[in-house]
Amino acid sequence: MTDTPTAASADVPPQPVPDPDSAGYWDALAGGALALCRCATCRTWMQPPLERCRRCGGATAFEPVSGAGAVHSFIVMHRASVPGQGPGPHVIAIVDLDDAPGARLSGRVAGAGPGDVTVGDRVEMRVTPVAGGPFHQPEFALVRA
Amino acid sequence: MTCALVGVGRTAYSRNSGRTTLAMATEACRAALDDAGLGADAVDGMVTYHANDSAGPLEVSWALGCDELSWSHAALGGGNIVAECVATAAAVIEAGLCRAVLVYRSLNGRSGHRFGTVSGPMAVEHELQYCAPHGFLVPPQWIAMWASRHQAEYGSTCEDLGRIAITQRAHAAANPHAIAREPLTMEQYLAGRWVNEPFRVYDCAFEVDGAVAVLVVGDDQAADAAKPPVWLVGSAGSQSGAGWLQWDDMTCMYSRHVAPRLWERTGLGPADMDVALMYDCFTYTVMATMEDYGFCGKGEVGDFFASGRATYGGDIVVNPHGGLLSEGYLHGLNHHVEAVVQLRGDAGARQVDGARRALVTAGAGPYGGANVLSIERP
Repeated sequence: MTDTPTAASADVPPQPVPDPDSAGYWDALAGGALALCRCATCRTWMQPPLERCRRCGGATAFEPVSGAGAVHSFIVMHRASVPGQGPGPHVIAIVDLDDAPGARLSGRVAGAGPGDVTVGDRVEMRVTPVAGGPFHQPEFALVRA
Repeated sequence: MTCALVGVGRTAYSRNSGRTTLAMATEACRAALDDAGLGADAVDGMVTYHANDSAGPLEVSWALGCDELSWSHAALGGGNIVAECVATAAAVIEAGLCRAVLVYRSLNGRSGHRFGTVSGPMAVEHELQYCAPHGFLVPPQWIAMWASRHQAEYGSTCEDLGRIAITQRAHAAANPHAIAREPLTMEQYLAGRWVNEPFRVYDCAFEVDGAVAVLVVGDDQAADAAKPPVWLVGSAGSQSGAGWLQWDDMTCMYSRHVAPRLWERTGLGPADMDVALMYDCFTYTVMATMEDYGFCGKGEVGDFFASGRATYGGDIVVNPHGGLLSEGYLHGLNHHVEAVVQLRGDAGARQVDGARRALVTAGAGPYGGANVLSIERP
């Protein structure tokens, strides 16, 4: 992590710095979809993405993922530990993805507050812009039974 | 060759030192040498670790009066490599590369950069780039996330975490070096402000400014030390790149791998320990690692603390100095200092009666290690 100043105002969220391994992830989100890194040979999912498969060393590519899944765990962020998150409290969840076992993602659970989320809850994913720059990220929403 | 810890040193711990990390590191190292009855000319190796601010071994050794070192290392890491740094110092001595190695940590962890928060415009690279935009970026979030999973799987509660904080605070009352010594009640704990639910402020290490140092020597020099040597009986580590999201079971930590290795290597077990210096960046780290090292079963840590088994007169005294939660966040090396003081019988009002062996752990989540120390030569 670097503290590189940007032209944006101070209260913007941290901006990602794409690299050759992660470019496919950010490019897919820019197009409004989620794609994760997967081995073309042994079909292992990898998050963060890698140039070569960590299991078999094979070539990898980004494959579409729906982002639907279940809450593996969650926290309620009461305190602004990181800039640009807006007034809280917010729920951040780590999600087990239906389509990509072994590759969890974290993200905001949109509109959720204290007491709203339980481990195991079903969620769906949508792509939202990251304020202060050109990037987009996944965000989750509870699926009401 | 068997190695021993023969000197420990520290600065005062404070909220705002007004000093450089170099000045504090030098004071702590000099105190460790004085404690051992050795001069700076005896030191030919130094190692530190530096996630967050630090002072490098070359500048510290120069300030200490060493004109050159045979070996030095500034490892990139945090609490996860504390036990490893001490064990590496011993390994370097056993390999014949050095005779006396200072292990130290110096940080302005409160007045300088604080680990628990980030501020200002920033661009985040590498493995944190995916989580940074939604603000999931700092340890009090990562480990709260793991605690939340433990609560869901094993029914552990915030009160269980609170009992860890309360017990350690009670221990700190007898420690003149501790930054937080006033008693903590369950009512106060539960009234503490939320940081990241399920963590309240009292679940988090008390960040301070300060430095600590430990001097490691081989048995050839240990006999000449001013105070009884405290022997390194065995060490084990486990470092995983799974990170905070992909680790398969958040109800366990690195210690699920370290515990069997450590107990096998030493031929000892949790029941053989008299005092446990459990790395406690957060209360949940104590909970998960107490289970992994075998002090109690899954979901039993709350009762273990509530029933007095983790304090004087119980099974084992956990963090008699108050730990990182109440003595102060010296990034875990202060646990080795306390182990040495306890095993020498020099801990005064907080002395654990008859302490012969100590477990000293370091790290949380997917990475860490532990050392077993003993007043008896292995």
